[in-house]
Amino acid sequence: MGRMLLVSRLVIGDVKRRPIQSALLLAVIVTTTTTLTLGLTLRHVAKSPFARTKAETRGPDFVVETQPKPGARVAPGRAFATLLRAPGVAASSGPFPLAFVRLTEPGVDVPVDAEGRTTTPSAVNRPLVTAGGWVRPGGAVIEQGLANTLGLHVGDRIGLHGHSFRVVGFALQTEQPLYPECTPGLAWVTPTDAARLATPANPLGYEVDLRLTDPYNDWRFSNSAALTTVSNEPAWATLTTQVWEGTRDEDYRVVKIDQKALFVGGWLLGLLAIASIAVAVGGRMAEQTRRVGLLKAVGATPRLVAVILLSENMALALAGAAVGIVAGWLIAPSFADPGSGLLGASPVSAPTAITIVEVALAAIAVAAAATIIPAARGARTSTIGALRDPVRPPRRRPRTIRLSAWLPVPLLLGLRLVARRPRRTVLSAASLATAVTMIVAGLTLRYQLDINQQTHNAAGLMQGSAIGGRVTHLVFLLGVVLVVLAATSAILTTWATVIDADRSTALARALGATPRQVTSALTTTQLLAGLVAACIGIPAGLVIYQLAGGDVGKANPPLWALLAVVPCTLAAVAALTSIPARLGANRSVADVLRSE
Amino acid sequence: MMGANASVLSARELCKDYGKGSALVHAVAGISLDVAAGESVAIVGPSGCGKSTLLYLLGGLERPSAGTICLAGRQLERLPETGLARLRRESVGFVFQAFHLVDELTAHENIELPALLAGSSPRGARRRAHELLEQVGLADRGSHLPSALSGGERQRVAIARALVDEPLVVLADEPTGNLDSGATTEVLRLFDQLHANGQTLVVVTHDERIAATADRLISMRDGAFVDETRLVGGSPRSLSAMVGLER
Repeated sequence: MGRMLLVSRLVIGDVKRRPIQSALLLAVIVTTTTTLTLGLTLRHVAKSPFARTKAETRGPDFVVETQPKPGARVAPGRAFATLLRAPGVAASSGPFPLAFVRLTEPGVDVPVDAEGRTTTPSAVNRPLVTAGGWVRPGGAVIEQGLANTLGLHVGDRIGLHGHSFRVVGFALQTEQPLYPECTPGLAWVTPTDAARLATPANPLGYEVDLRLTDPYNDWRFSNSAALTTVSNEPAWATLTTQVWEGTRDEDYRVVKIDQKALFVGGWLLGLLAIASIAVAVGGRMAEQTRRVGLLKAVGATPRLVAVILLSENMALALAGAAVGIVAGWLIAPSFADPGSGLLGASPVSAPTAITIVEVALAAIAVAAAATIIPAARGARTSTIGALRDPVRPPRRRPRTIRLSAWLPVPLLLGLRLVARRPRRTVLSAASLATAVTMIVAGLTLRYQLDINQQTHNAAGLMQGSAIGGRVTHLVFLLGVVLVVLAATSAILTTWATVIDADRSTALARALGATPRQVTSALTTTQLLAGLVAACIGIPAGLVIYQLAGGDVGKANPPLWALLAVVPCTLAAVAALTSIPARLGANRSVADVLRSE
Repeated sequence: MMGANASVLSARELCKDYGKGSALVHAVAGISLDVAAGESVAIVGPSGCGKSTLLYLLGGLERPSAGTICLAGRQLERLPETGLARLRRESVGFVFQAFHLVDELTAHENIELPALLAGSSPRGARRRAHELLEQVGLADRGSHLPSALSGGERQRVAIARALVDEPLVVLADEPTGNLDSGATTEVLRLFDQLHANGQTLVVVTHDERIAATADRLISMRDGAFVDETRLVGGSPRSLSAMVGLER
């Protein structure tokens, strides 16, 4: 009990003593765990919006759509009678007349099924009006996804097969996948208007919507005798069926794209988080060596020292995980909206116990992995050694030292600082490269979406649709998270460099280097990493974009935009690192030299 | 005390306080001092009496709480940090008790460093470092890292580094504090030589032998000067002989 109290007291004391570094480490852990929670929560909410929309619209489990041969005479009631009474059918609607036409409005020409509906609500497949009203003579209701893709408004005039209609409303449905995932698009008109749109060459077709007694075994119904009977009707030119699970899967292609982006982004985030936490913990540990010596000098065993160091970072990891889980839970609903063609997601439920455990374990594992080696090293360090010299001996790079002598003072000092701890520079470059990679991937995606939107063909409309917007939104958010992490990492790395090089920089100042020269030198250490990161990140971003399904060769961003990433990265790094660098350069020279 | 007109370094009513309220400590309390060109001043006193703080104040590494410092005709307390850095570069050479050599630089590179910071060409800095290494008797140790040098050798490298920019004054903080007696003798001989060459020196020390080589010996206690003694008319050679440095 006494030992626990001692450890707690030491941990709290150290966190209070260095609040900025503790806050930065906490920020890294919070950012990582938020994204992890987001990914794990989205995995669970993927199915709820479709189910909700299907329930609200009394969506069909099975849809049969036919088109007769030109000139064929069909009595729809008789043709579908067997199917409507077939075993396994719980309820049905239709047959509804279907006209296969093209929707035209200025600049657009897309195929559309115009479905004839009365004002009487049907038992199965009851479209849910989200704006305006229901069908009336000369007035068409447009499926929400199609309306959004074409940018239609209630009251607009459209052309259906040369006939002018007014858009009187928008509606949701689950009888077919959302436009543009599914073409042709869908519109509802009165049965009379539908009949008016049919021609002898393109006669009226029919649609039947069925509710099955066992919707999870719809494959059985696909092979039923009743369906075979209907399909054998010689009047049909085509007969197509659509099962609800197929519709659902198409609708969630968007969520799958999100998940793919989250997967790639998650990996990048994971790598960056490990690098950031390693730098943060390493920086804290470098400052702890003297404290380790003091603890051991007053009788702490190596094991107790290791427990104290581990406890401190574990406590921060747990606190960060708790905040990250709550933040991820709060952000998740904005990602659970699967698009404009379905009802918004039901409120995302709180993360499950498994999710909480997974996130907490991940945070602890990363923090423990980053802590364990420095903690063991600290515990093993001789007491006198730890009290005497708080830093590991730096590396000597004779060639770099000789080369730097020819450079201006900030570069001379900066290059020598980089040469002292090359691994830290590599880690920093890796962190920054990850962020640059995501920025370039996002930039490429945005550029290609813009190009596609300008082409205004079907593919262009599809890319420019809500899907494109959502993926861009997700890539943007991932990019922001990665940039925040990389920025925190850059600040931490600079601070670690400041701590590690405090004696060298104090000495340089005692020997005549100005604070500005020292600040520039400390910033230079990160600028070199930033330069490497930009050079690696640009091609890596294009590769990641291609791996995630993008078409790099088709329309790359212009070279100037890609090259602009280099100075932008350097400017951002300089701005971020100048604060810790200035703090480091302005530390009292006398205090640093006297502490030896 | 020398006249203020001939001083390269002077301080008036110099104070340095740390802490506040009941924790207030007067590390330096109203010290006035003049150091003439070519003079050697030794400041002695018990640990914690404010000797090192005074030295850091004189070298512009710390700012005084009150009082004035004039070095090479410039008021230190009025200079911004950049101005202080330039002044240190041009006019001050520091020698520390803990040597403060850069671990990853060789002896030669450590000596070059202030010259490069002052804007000397790499070739010029190298040449000057070589001359100083010979002067301190370490010409054959220039390529060694500090970790491969003895304590006395490290301090001689630190002294050479302090001299590389030909400063007006060398400020030494316990230069023999971390050395054994053999190494102390080597360093004493070097200081003796510097003094003989007319280098202005202010040395803070516990070591009676190094104090005895000075022109003036100032005793310090509780942040203030309590005694000042002029030694044998400032004849370093005779003093060296007194402490057994002349062979």
